[in-house]
Amino acid sequence: MQSKVAVIGGGIAGLWCALELARMEIDSLIVEKAPFLGGHVAQFCCKATDSCQRCGACVLEDVLEKVKSRERITCMVRTTLTDVRRAGPGFQLGLLQRSPWILPDKCTGCGSCLEVCPAPGALSRSPGSPTVTLKDEACRFFRTGSCNSCVEACPEHAIVFSAASQPLDVNCSAVVVATGFTPFDPDEKPRFGYGRVPGVVTALELDALLRQDTFSPGNGKGPIRSVAFIQCVGSRDVRIGRNYCSRVCCGYAMRLARLLRNRFPGIEPTMFYMDIQSFDRDFAHRLAEAAKEVRLVRSIPAEIRTSADGRPELVYHGPDETRVSEPYDMVVLSVGLSPRAEAAELFGVALDRHGFPGAGSEEVRTSVPGVFVAGTAQGPRSITDSVIHATKAAAAAASHLRSMEAIR
Amino acid sequence: MSRPVSEDSRELRRILVLGGDREGMAVAERLAKDSFEVVLLGTTGSADLPKRVTSVPEGVLEAVRGFVGAFAVTLRTPEGRRQEQVDAIVAASPPERIPKFEIYGLTPSKRTVSLSHAEELPDSAISVHKSGDKWFHAVFLVGLEGGSDTAVFSRAFSCAERLQTLDRVQTYLFTRHVKVADDDLESLYRDLRQQGVLFFRFDAEGPSFESTEEGLRMVFRDPLLGTEMELSPDLLVVDEDLAPSQQLRPLIDAIPSAGGFRPYVQPDSVRFPGVETPKAGILAIGASRGRFFPALFTAELDALSLHLKMLAANGRPKDIPGPAEVDPSKCTLCLTCVRLCTHGAIGFRTAAEVDGLSCVGCGICAAECPMRAIVVVPRAEQPEIEGQIRRGLSQAHSDHRVVAFLCKKSGTGAMAAAGNGALKNLVTVEIPCAGTLDPAHVMYALQAGADRVLIAACHKGNCASIYGTDLARARIAGVTSFLADARLDPGRVKFVTLASNTPGELVRAVRDLRSASEPARSAT
Repeated sequence: MQSKVAVIGGGIAGLWCALELARMEIDSLIVEKAPFLGGHVAQFCCKATDSCQRCGACVLEDVLEKVKSRERITCMVRTTLTDVRRAGPGFQLGLLQRSPWILPDKCTGCGSCLEVCPAPGALSRSPGSPTVTLKDEACRFFRTGSCNSCVEACPEHAIVFSAASQPLDVNCSAVVVATGFTPFDPDEKPRFGYGRVPGVVTALELDALLRQDTFSPGNGKGPIRSVAFIQCVGSRDVRIGRNYCSRVCCGYAMRLARLLRNRFPGIEPTMFYMDIQSFDRDFAHRLAEAAKEVRLVRSIPAEIRTSADGRPELVYHGPDETRVSEPYDMVVLSVGLSPRAEAAELFGVALDRHGFPGAGSEEVRTSVPGVFVAGTAQGPRSITDSVIHATKAAAAAASHLRSMEAIR
Repeated sequence: MSRPVSEDSRELRRILVLGGDREGMAVAERLAKDSFEVVLLGTTGSADLPKRVTSVPEGVLEAVRGFVGAFAVTLRTPEGRRQEQVDAIVAASPPERIPKFEIYGLTPSKRTVSLSHAEELPDSAISVHKSGDKWFHAVFLVGLEGGSDTAVFSRAFSCAERLQTLDRVQTYLFTRHVKVADDDLESLYRDLRQQGVLFFRFDAEGPSFESTEEGLRMVFRDPLLGTEMELSPDLLVVDEDLAPSQQLRPLIDAIPSAGGFRPYVQPDSVRFPGVETPKAGILAIGASRGRFFPALFTAELDALSLHLKMLAANGRPKDIPGPAEVDPSKCTLCLTCVRLCTHGAIGFRTAAEVDGLSCVGCGICAAECPMRAIVVVPRAEQPEIEGQIRRGLSQAHSDHRVVAFLCKKSGTGAMAAAGNGALKNLVTVEIPCAGTLDPAHVMYALQAGADRVLIAACHKGNCASIYGTDLARARIAGVTSFLADARLDPGRVKFVTLASNTPGELVRAVRDLRSASEPARSAT
């Protein structure tokens, strides 16, 4: 198999990059390891209150629609990059494509499987389509072999647990690494109680619940009224080697907080922060607007523990060095954006001082000629900034192809 | 207003770039390299111009008329006014830097200077000449009040770092939120603190200033220790608000939907993630779109270059509806369409004329034309939509028949993601933008036997034609008040806003309408 450009990662940056290449009449292959395209953004909900909050998540649906209709773009989902060899001036990529457990052409989206599945998060609707996808890591069949309820429930026989993996080699002249970011693992900061104190979740987890329409403030022990957002979990923290700001979390948490407040009357959000970073044009105006709906506290809690009534309790330094303990119904950790460099490292790409592939700043070139990096794979950035960055990567890849042809 | 010219005779060759300085020069160099001819407005500070670049250093843009491939611009120069024909316009003006003296209640002086001024100060102006152990106190006010942009912090940090390394200079930075969301600013912030720069971050009231005989005195409450403090700065550096350049005004006037809280060329909308504006051939980069990061600028430059090259090669994208067509025999030149076109795509001569390259087919003009003189091609004509509604209703066996008008930018995607299973028997009509919704079609649906009508539009602020949602909402308010006047249930028509990634909202809206229609039916 031959393709001009291989785009590793089918999130917003990879998809946009492929679209730009297609506009320049360059063929590309998108290699995506998940069963669906869209990456993190596909799991973000729309943050609109009574009006758009400019999060940019809906940009993905437009992009997916366009990618489907472009002949120059080939997409492989459930596919991982296993090894890389040099092939002349280009690369030969070893790929492993796992067959889909749920056959997309047979699935009608009836939802019978969703009703019987006992494992939360194992089955979900694919973004932009009513069909269902399965996540191996959450599925009981793949974890313990103990369940095949969905296979039996599917009236279309669309779920098959016996499909095999298929290796294949692909030659390409240039590569764009658009593998996105790894959310910071809050286990590295045990004082925030993640996994230990009930009611402590990451912002991404809350977002996914909202996206899947499964968040309800009445769930669990009691109604959720007070929600605390904790900023900078895994960002601006030199003690754990993260001497950088993740850039997007302030705007992200603020939008989530305002969404909760507007969509679920009764919820009162509080945001704990060091400094609130600009999100959006005209920050001062936006912050003043947000402050009407979100209580702002300048302090990062020293500890989150379980209160006597089983709720998460925040201990923090209040104004004038006072020590405050406050129980909340839910605590949302704004986890930072950590590098995800595995694919880039297969190409031998050097990492910047924070561990992101590439040379830092907005640079899309890497230490390996012909390998480019786009979107949050290169460093934290918003959805709309990832789009611009992906354009830059596409332009650089195209110019690399031109110079290769000139040499020939 | 110049009239549209035919598509075939247009080419994209000559480009006007607004804004000299580094930004404008970088754009001019890049576009010249891409073989465009460039007219560059504004001072360049460099005598060597690349080939194909004409500079008009003291030129100011006064007016813009026309359309992509055929803009007529009026420039004011010291020699007088002159007209230029250009094919595209790029707004690359650096931001206006407005020092915040007034906001802080300060008067500029030798010791109270703007950040730009401080950046230019030679070290000799700062060092302490007097002997003895007196120190020089330099205080920066950054984002204490008003705007507070990361790019300003980046500059203030560099300036503070320089001062702090001078002999016997103590530097202070007073702020509210330290902005570090850019390359390595966090580590610079850490370095500054290690070098001894003192940061004060205020939540409540900031410092107050009083003039004394020895100079300015600051009084404030230390936000950490809670103690009263005072300081007499030898140099007080006042930060600047970054505002859109005044140069942009004529461009903003040419794009009816430009602006936002502050007037930028690009509307504040995620529908414009790149360098495009609602009007074809007018592009914005850097500060002109409200973004001030120098690093981001290099990426935007690639996007700009690619966009212009593609526009030159391919013209109008093939996958959008339209362009709209005006029937000149019906047009009375009321110019409603000209004023309302989000995309600045309509001009006029003896009748309104739609520019084929600028129109995106949203249909706002067709819906607002009081003479019904405009149609969007392919013809979304009344009989066709009515036919769709009639056919759909005849096939819908449900007891609760709902007709949904879906905006292509939101409702259609939500419908696709929800699947037919969840929305059985929903009769759908896709429209290119809610702004094209014709109330007559809503009335037709009710007459044809629909129990309820749903209109699914984009959220306010998310409409790709900026105010299509608002126009549609106003029209539907007209329909519901008409129903109420006619003693019919106004609840039979429902307007909702949603996004393509919120299928649940569409399902809920349809379910609510269906359950609401039950008592209505049983009552009749």
